[in-house]
Amino acid sequence: MEDLKLTLKQQIIESLNLQGMTPADIDDNAPLFGEGLGLDSIDSLELMVLLERNYGIKIEDAREGRKVLESVSSMADYIQQHRKI
Amino acid sequence: MNPVYISAAAALSPQYTFEAEGLLQDVRSSDNGKLFVTDADYSKFINPVAIRRMSRLLKMGISTGMKCMQLAGIRSPDGIITGTGRGSMRDMEIFLGDMIRLKEETLNPTYFIQSTYNSVNGWLAMQTKCNGYNQTYVHRGHSLEMALLDAQMLLNETNERKTYLVGAFDEMTDEYFLVKSKKAYWKKPVPNSLDLFKHSDTKGSIGGEGAAFFTVTNDKENTICGIEDIRMLQDPDENEINRTIENVLQRHHLNIKNIDLVLCGMNGDSRFQPLYANILTGFTARTSITAFKHLTGEYDTSTSFALWLATELFKRQEIPEIITLKKGIHSDIKNVLIVNHYILNSASILLLKGN
Repeated sequence: MEDLKLTLKQQIIESLNLQGMTPADIDDNAPLFGEGLGLDSIDSLELMVLLERNYGIKIEDAREGRKVLESVSSMADYIQQHRKI
Repeated sequence: MNPVYISAAAALSPQYTFEAEGLLQDVRSSDNGKLFVTDADYSKFINPVAIRRMSRLLKMGISTGMKCMQLAGIRSPDGIITGTGRGSMRDMEIFLGDMIRLKEETLNPTYFIQSTYNSVNGWLAMQTKCNGYNQTYVHRGHSLEMALLDAQMLLNETNERKTYLVGAFDEMTDEYFLVKSKKAYWKKPVPNSLDLFKHSDTKGSIGGEGAAFFTVTNDKENTICGIEDIRMLQDPDENEINRTIENVLQRHHLNIKNIDLVLCGMNGDSRFQPLYANILTGFTARTSITAFKHLTGEYDTSTSFALWLATELFKRQEIPEIITLKKGIHSDIKNVLIVNHYILNSASILLLKGN
């Protein structure tokens, strides 16, 4: 699980071009949107693409997507249960 | 139509035009046929959260627009009107490349969203909280001219003092350069950019890019110059260019003896050099003849660099040697003609009058 979280953080940094950030700067449980990393709606689309491209996960329900994208931990949990790649 | 006036101007170009105090004192050149913009510190002008997603063209356009507003001392314009010949080439190339590579699945939305032509305008409107008129013209070699004409028409329709942010931006990518090399756009062999005009007997030019913005108003007070006339020509020959210049001068009760300076857009290509023949020989000893594409390269909206350069010449009343083809004996710089031709056979003529 820890390996998955580290990989996920690296993928988030690369995909969202979070310049100057390292995986150590992202708290596992901090909110990704709003007060945490301060991501916005376009970032959420990019994260959906990241999940589909790297893990074969397609989230159709927006409410479910909101829960999945709450934090790195919630994303990692969901990936572990639903990954196809 | 009544003239409109430029109160401030900013340009990002291959030269040090964005922040340097002197005008074209240290000159950059290139030996590979490409003149890329000298990047500025874009983080000074763009929201730090948004900048990470932006392509170079977006950063160039937004920063130049914001810098122009700063120079004019305006927080929000009455409208934003721009021109771009090609828009966000890099974002479009990445998006199309991904479509092939990923078989049209899981495509990143950012490149699609920001590859649209009006991205720069949208961001400028958000950053300046401008809810007014917002338009982007994509008319290849006439893109900036259309934006200026639109601003002029809007400003002529009202008696209220209004100021529009008008500008242009175009980027060059390696792929674009490669594609256009197959259409004989570029010189072979490649000369040093500063020697471009020494090779005007062979086909081709050098590639370039840039962004320039202007605050354009209908109130003459505290402005640099007036745009008296804007003419656009498609597929002109030398005679049509000469006739149009005569017509413009006549309409404004001027003759060629009254023109202090001509800014020529010759690009070193032998196919288009005859268009400038009369300008190079027909003006009197009074008129200075200058050229600029050895400093910027050829691109759709290069008239924007010429217009920015004209505003600097009006302010400084001195012509740098690096742009001078013929030094005139005029006492000051008051009436300026810009004559520019783009590689796709579109040409424009602008008459400016210093205030």
